[in-house]
Amino acid sequence: MNIFLDRTHGEPLYLQIRNQIRQLILCGSLPPGYRLPSERGLAGLLGVNRSTVTGAYQELEADGLVESRVGRGTTVKPQAGGKEGGDPAGRPLVWKHLFSRQCNRVTSPLISDIFEWLNADGVISFAAGVPSADRQPAREFACLYGELLSRRRNILEHSPTAGYWPLREYIADHMAQRGVRTGPENVVIVAGSQQGLDLIARVLLEPGDVVVVEEPSYLGAIGVFRAAGVRLLGVPVDEEGMRVDLLERLLERYRPKLIYTLPTFQNPSGVTMSRERRLALMQTAYRHQVPVLEDDAYSELYYDGIRPPLLKSLDPGDQVIYLSTFSKILFPGLRVGWVVAPAEVTRQLVLAKQLVDLHTNTPAQVALAEFCRRKLLAGHLTGVRKEYAQRRDAMLGALIESAPPGLAWNRPQGGYYVWCSLPPVVTATRLLAATSERKVVFLPGDAFFAGSGGSGFIRLSFSACDEETIRKGVAVIGEVLGELCRRSANEEKEKRGGADLMPLT
Amino acid sequence: MPYAFAQRVGGMGGSAIREILKITERPDIISFAGGLPAPEMFPRTGLAEAFAQVLREEDGLALQYSSTEGYGPLREYIAGVMRQKGVAVTAEEILITSGSQQGLDLVAKLFLDPGDVVATELPVYTGALQVFRSYEGRLKAIPGDEHGPDPVALEIVIRESRPKLIYLAPTFNNPTGMTVSEARRRALVVLCEKYAVPLIEDDPYGDLRYSGIPVPPVKAFDAGGRVIYLGTFSKTVAPGLRLGWVAAERELVARLALAKQGADLHTGTLVQRALHRYLTGSDSGGHVEAIRREYGRRRDAMAGALNGTFPPGIQWNEPEGGMFFWVTLPAHLDAAELLPEAVAEKVAFVPGAAFFPAGGGENFLRLNFTNSPPPLIGEGIGRLARVLARHWSG
Repeated sequence: MNIFLDRTHGEPLYLQIRNQIRQLILCGSLPPGYRLPSERGLAGLLGVNRSTVTGAYQELEADGLVESRVGRGTTVKPQAGGKEGGDPAGRPLVWKHLFSRQCNRVTSPLISDIFEWLNADGVISFAAGVPSADRQPAREFACLYGELLSRRRNILEHSPTAGYWPLREYIADHMAQRGVRTGPENVVIVAGSQQGLDLIARVLLEPGDVVVVEEPSYLGAIGVFRAAGVRLLGVPVDEEGMRVDLLERLLERYRPKLIYTLPTFQNPSGVTMSRERRLALMQTAYRHQVPVLEDDAYSELYYDGIRPPLLKSLDPGDQVIYLSTFSKILFPGLRVGWVVAPAEVTRQLVLAKQLVDLHTNTPAQVALAEFCRRKLLAGHLTGVRKEYAQRRDAMLGALIESAPPGLAWNRPQGGYYVWCSLPPVVTATRLLAATSERKVVFLPGDAFFAGSGGSGFIRLSFSACDEETIRKGVAVIGEVLGELCRRSANEEKEKRGGADLMPLT
Repeated sequence: MPYAFAQRVGGMGGSAIREILKITERPDIISFAGGLPAPEMFPRTGLAEAFAQVLREEDGLALQYSSTEGYGPLREYIAGVMRQKGVAVTAEEILITSGSQQGLDLVAKLFLDPGDVVATELPVYTGALQVFRSYEGRLKAIPGDEHGPDPVALEIVIRESRPKLIYLAPTFNNPTGMTVSEARRRALVVLCEKYAVPLIEDDPYGDLRYSGIPVPPVKAFDAGGRVIYLGTFSKTVAPGLRLGWVAAERELVARLALAKQGADLHTGTLVQRALHRYLTGSDSGGHVEAIRREYGRRRDAMAGALNGTFPPGIQWNEPEGGMFFWVTLPAHLDAAELLPEAVAEKVAFVPGAAFFPAGGGENFLRLNFTNSPPPLIGEGIGRLARVLARHWSG
């Protein structure tokens, strides 16, 4: 046992002795049962007072590293953690073993894949729900950023966690025009509606809780709920939206923590919930005291002149948590969305947001507030509504022209998506594999179902492609699907034919 | 309707920082409380040009969705900067985050189950603590001295408490201003290797050195990939942008990206591209140099004022960088009790107890020197000295 004392060092000698012996014990140089030199002996060896060594040994004993017994002197105690912890060679790090349960529930890289497809050259993508690149007010924002960054004093500083006040005011006004009684203090700005979903899950959900979702539903929300460890109950959607008549029984039996709905121009089905259903949903939710999360990214994008009432505007009991975003009506690269909720909920959301990113990027909020204040958003919306209506019509027209028998679809009154159901012989992933060879992609329905199912559906997004591209892409899908249907019909025939010829033995 | 919030909500208390930031917003108060960079030092013109150029020239891509890991060229740039500091990383080992606060949250989410232990030095940055608490993590203090956490003590903590994570801010620490020596850094990495414990190195202030010899990041000694490094542009460019990064092993970056995808899809496309353009285009190196010069002047101003006016018996460090002086009052004084008197004199600070989650630290206070110009520093320290003097005489 070698101990070196540095008398020029400020550290007291007894601590130097304790620390070095500690190190020797912990790295295994002094094994359990090893008898330390007597206090007098070590003091003589090191040229220090005996009391110095006594002090060091007392510290070591207090650390639980050694024990003193009359007659046996001071010996090293067996260490908790045993041999493996003491292996000086170290252990290879298996990260997987260290990950949290929550993290291990997150697996789907699907959204990243969508973005990769989006940027691939020469691919016609109906996969991602992104706004038209031709209609982006980049020049207006260039001017706004230039002007605001040089003139607004606080634009590069921290801003309140709940959001930049003028933007919250604008949103409260905008919500009021849609029949929602609220004020800026009930608006929380979030970094896109995905963050809204994540924060809501954080403050409301425990592992094991039950959440009701539509079937199909938005895949990003399904991902957040899965990560939160909750159990998802799917309620089917028909042409009037969520089957509220089936809800009652579920609420009674499972007492869910939350009902998640996308009532207007739903992602992925394009369906809009009827007014009667909306009223029935609220009555049911009130009766069972279950909060409703209304995810509303698309309601400003209506193409047939009809804008259905927000659930939040049919909510005198203040039981709807409303979530929306600028990503679909304007563009997604700023990552700004908002939540409108009862004060009790916004308070918790703000506390949670403070922990995840302090606040949403200030210049993006200031620029957006100014863009809206100058009424540029209203003008932009008029323009995109017209363009998206044309694209929707182009897609519906192309489907009528090129769809093989057995393919069915709806006619969305707004939003980004046409939802198609496939002939039973072809699955969505098989179709995707075949069309992607011809550089046309979309999303298979499986991703939008909390449980199994969905393999008979595909989601086609018409927002990002011009009409010509839409016609080309849909024609490819029609051709490929027709080919797959014929092939599987032949396979079926051969199978049957083959069975006839085989002798049974 | 009564809302049934999740259990972890209890771990999300309002923070002392939040309350203090309210005080500092009053214009008549000289605030040494916040941890803020000086707004007059923000590169307004450079950023204005960068945003406008990106929006005019980049064909709408700046307004679209982009990859969760971050804008490729910005990741490249950051990897280059890290390599200059002695950390061997490639762009694939960088994840762009919405400020280093998000990096911290994602790492905590990745590792912590309720009840898991996080070992950290004391005092410690409150924002980090609250994140660990929100995942129902338990904190365990690592004893240390003026050179940082003691490796011997840390080993005992590791053996006894088996922490899931170690959290350190080893360079110009918030609040103490202290920097861990190179020898200690090497020893810490050895322990992380030996016991397979990941270490979070939170380094918001590393670029703000005003004197002394630079020490490489802990991650520079991390051959085994145990260190998860958190960086930010909040102090060197501007905090309102909310841009930071994580540098870690590829496998971890992939897992963190999955978590980030659920949290906010990705950090703003426009702000990433504009920042990259600013960093590579204009004279951003010169900008950091200018910040260092100015903050160095402010540090000297505060050191001078403290030396000139504070009553004897009070101690403080001389930070070589960062943003804070950490002041030790005589044991019988409670800084939190002095704060209202200080605010009455129109000067503010953060009482030390805010950085000691398990209690204690009452006789410390933290003073920020970067957010006030030198004349105000002199005036503010003078006011604070008057408050303290009152407690000396009676």
